[in-house]
Amino acid sequence: MKVLTANSLTTGEVVFWSRGRWALDFSDGERFADDAVADAALAAAESQPRVVVAPYLIDVEEAAGHWIPVSYRERIRALGPTNTPQHGKQADGHADVQALAAATSAARSSGRVKLIKR
Amino acid sequence: MPTLISIEGDKAVAADDVFAFVADEDPIPASGDIIVTLARFQSEGDGLLAAGRRVGVRLQPSEDVEALAYDLPRIALIELAFPKFRDGRPYSAARLLRERLSYGGQVRAVGDVLREQAQFMLRCGFDAFIPSDGSGPEEWKAATRRYRHVYQRGADHRPPIYAERAGAASPVKEEFEHGL
Amino acid sequence: MYRYDAYDKAMLTDRSNEFRHQVARRLAGEITEDQFKPLRLMNGLYLQLHAYMLRVAIPYGTLSTRQLRRLAWVAKTYDKGYGHFTTRTNLQLHWIKLRDAPDVMDALAEVDLHAIQTSGNCIRNVTADPYAGATADEVDDPRVWAEVIRQWSTFHPEFSYLPRKFKIAVTASAKDRTAARSYDIGLQLRRGRDGALGFEVMVGGGQGRSPFLAKTVRESLPAGWLLSYLEAIIRVYNRHGRRDNIHKARIKILVNSLGVEEFTRQVEAEWAKIDSATSDLPDTELARIRGAFHPNTFQTLPPVSHAFEAALADPDFARFARRNVHPHKIPGYAIVDVSLKAPGQTPGDCSSEQMEAIADLADQYSFGEVRVNYTQNLVLPHVKLDDLPALHAALKAVDLASANIDLITDIIACPGLDYCSLANARAIPVAQAIAQRFADPERAEAIGELKVKISGCINACGHHHLGNIGILGVDKKGEEFYQISLGGSGDNDATLAEILGPAVHFSKVPDAVETLVDTYLSQRQGGERFLDTLRRTGLTPFKEALYADAD
Repeated sequence: MKVLTANSLTTGEVVFWSRGRWALDFSDGERFADDAVADAALAAAESQPRVVVAPYLIDVEEAAGHWIPVSYRERIRALGPTNTPQHGKQADGHADVQALAAATSAARSSGRVKLIKR
Repeated sequence: MPTLISIEGDKAVAADDVFAFVADEDPIPASGDIIVTLARFQSEGDGLLAAGRRVGVRLQPSEDVEALAYDLPRIALIELAFPKFRDGRPYSAARLLRERLSYGGQVRAVGDVLREQAQFMLRCGFDAFIPSDGSGPEEWKAATRRYRHVYQRGADHRPPIYAERAGAASPVKEEFEHGL
Repeated sequence: MYRYDAYDKAMLTDRSNEFRHQVARRLAGEITEDQFKPLRLMNGLYLQLHAYMLRVAIPYGTLSTRQLRRLAWVAKTYDKGYGHFTTRTNLQLHWIKLRDAPDVMDALAEVDLHAIQTSGNCIRNVTADPYAGATADEVDDPRVWAEVIRQWSTFHPEFSYLPRKFKIAVTASAKDRTAARSYDIGLQLRRGRDGALGFEVMVGGGQGRSPFLAKTVRESLPAGWLLSYLEAIIRVYNRHGRRDNIHKARIKILVNSLGVEEFTRQVEAEWAKIDSATSDLPDTELARIRGAFHPNTFQTLPPVSHAFEAALADPDFARFARRNVHPHKIPGYAIVDVSLKAPGQTPGDCSSEQMEAIADLADQYSFGEVRVNYTQNLVLPHVKLDDLPALHAALKAVDLASANIDLITDIIACPGLDYCSLANARAIPVAQAIAQRFADPERAEAIGELKVKISGCINACGHHHLGNIGILGVDKKGEEFYQISLGGSGDNDATLAEILGPAVHFSKVPDAVETLVDTYLSQRQGGERFLDTLRRTGLTPFKEALYADAD
């Protein structure tokens, strides 16, 4: 399963493609089961150079009822820096944020290759 | 058709390019001004020049301008190629051509040539450009006027700030009405 | 310090205007991201994990209080109320918006600050001794030369598209506080027997994937020929440095592949053709720049201060005096280090409130001058010993009085995977965990000088190659592991650290460091620092201690 992410051109904020718009919350990100559909969404994002910069697809998986990015780096992008809990999206504090933060240990202990990057 | 932009004094003009670049594997045309690679010039240059036409040489960044030192008086123009805009070697090549080898012909930037580099190129001694970003003479003229002063000497003989301070004759210029 | 005159200010204004127009064209879609990216990088604006990051230049690590207050204001107004001082003595703002960047540049330019050439393949911010103008052991003020190089290198038309970034450090003291030998060019000022100033010119240092220490290309270059000689070096590099592989493009690779003799021959041959009258600075201009760094009007004070001596009865103050206070060339004055490494804090981070407080203290006690050290700490360079007790109390009130300079809690750490899109692992939480483990100031002082340096990736912005304990974060099957190296040093005895053994999991790093510290304490003889013991015993006892239970 994939999600499409990018950074907002004007603000630099991390955003996720969500059925026709760019959302700030990872939990709103549209999940693509079909690679062809995901690639089409990526191509569409690349044709929006005045809206977003550097769009790309990330792998996501389900853990304990919540969808989370497989990659540790993408969890940090979705949440915020781990050294300052009051900065970044994690400061919003809702349930999905907590699930994301809690998921840190779950997927990582499986030891799959290339988890840090996308 | 990319424009050849030529700097003449204070002006940037769209010029007609009368020179034809001839690739190594192509035959030399019967007449007309031509540009050839360094390798071709080194092997056929004497013959080409004897035919009474103007000959230019195109240098790649890895080719040293010093290789042309003795022939420069006979070479009508030098093209310095930018395979990528971020390849900075042609800037040194242009400066050496002007300041060390006293070359007086046209020094032309070709390849991945963007107007954002206009002022640096001019300061290194380029006086003609074939841009790859679709920009024209107006934009190039404006791009060369972004900085009222310069800190260091270049091939363009603009006085550096320390000379302006000492001279006291030219105070800080008014800000330009910013162009492009 | 150097004050920008109308010409210098015009350069900044023109740059801000140019940048504003470039941003406008990008936002309007008139240029692509591929065309815009090198332009924004030349203005120090990166796109990082969470936002744009702006790297503000702090030329040779010197700030006026007016500048520091403006940085505090910019951080509060356009960022999240703090800034991060880097190992290159610049300030990073980690949460900038592109649409605000032109306004930020204008606000900085008003106080003679900028982000010019803090990124890109050009000559970067020149660093100098943070104790310049205050230390007794300098032969000249290195900032004079750093300012000379700053002007010469700004918008240099020939050297703005080098094979890779280019960094220069200048030091004028017997004790090198710049890590000059880890630089592309390190310049060591000395006086000859006739009193004439000369530079030892060292070329080809660098950390990162292939660390090297710089080699001496010229033992003594008469100071007046500095710019023409730099021109020769950088022209050779521009023409012959590799451009085919980004990991082999620094000048250190060229020096190493040619060998220092051949490299030197090429530089000297090029230099011989350069006309000094055109390339070097006229004496009048050098004198003008030098004049800007004239000494402050110091009071005539006795070398011993009763107020200072009396305050030593307070153990906190006494520790601060031992760790953070250094001799000044003028009797009765001192150089004071302000630690940005309170245990548990992000190394090098400084809030807007703290910046304001430091500015007030610098105005009151340090002639309005602040310095930035590549160790990610700040310096108040000219403080009266009499004023130290009051200064210490004021620093304590804003959590800036950690008496830990060069101790195990004075950790250098890059932003790492928490912020940086280049990173493989986090660096800051590792630093926080180690510092918290050793937070007891008595314990830290009993351990003594121990420089821990942590990088989140091979680019080595955390200087792990020069750490007594160097720590490099790596990605091992998707988990954060840390490679530990020992024995590095950025001082005059510059040494690259050696890898100890297999990488250690994130959760095990503080334990590993504790094991290494215990090993050192058990082996220590006399007043040996960690580095001294290690050099005497070699890696073996440390390797055995750390990996003994590997099975």
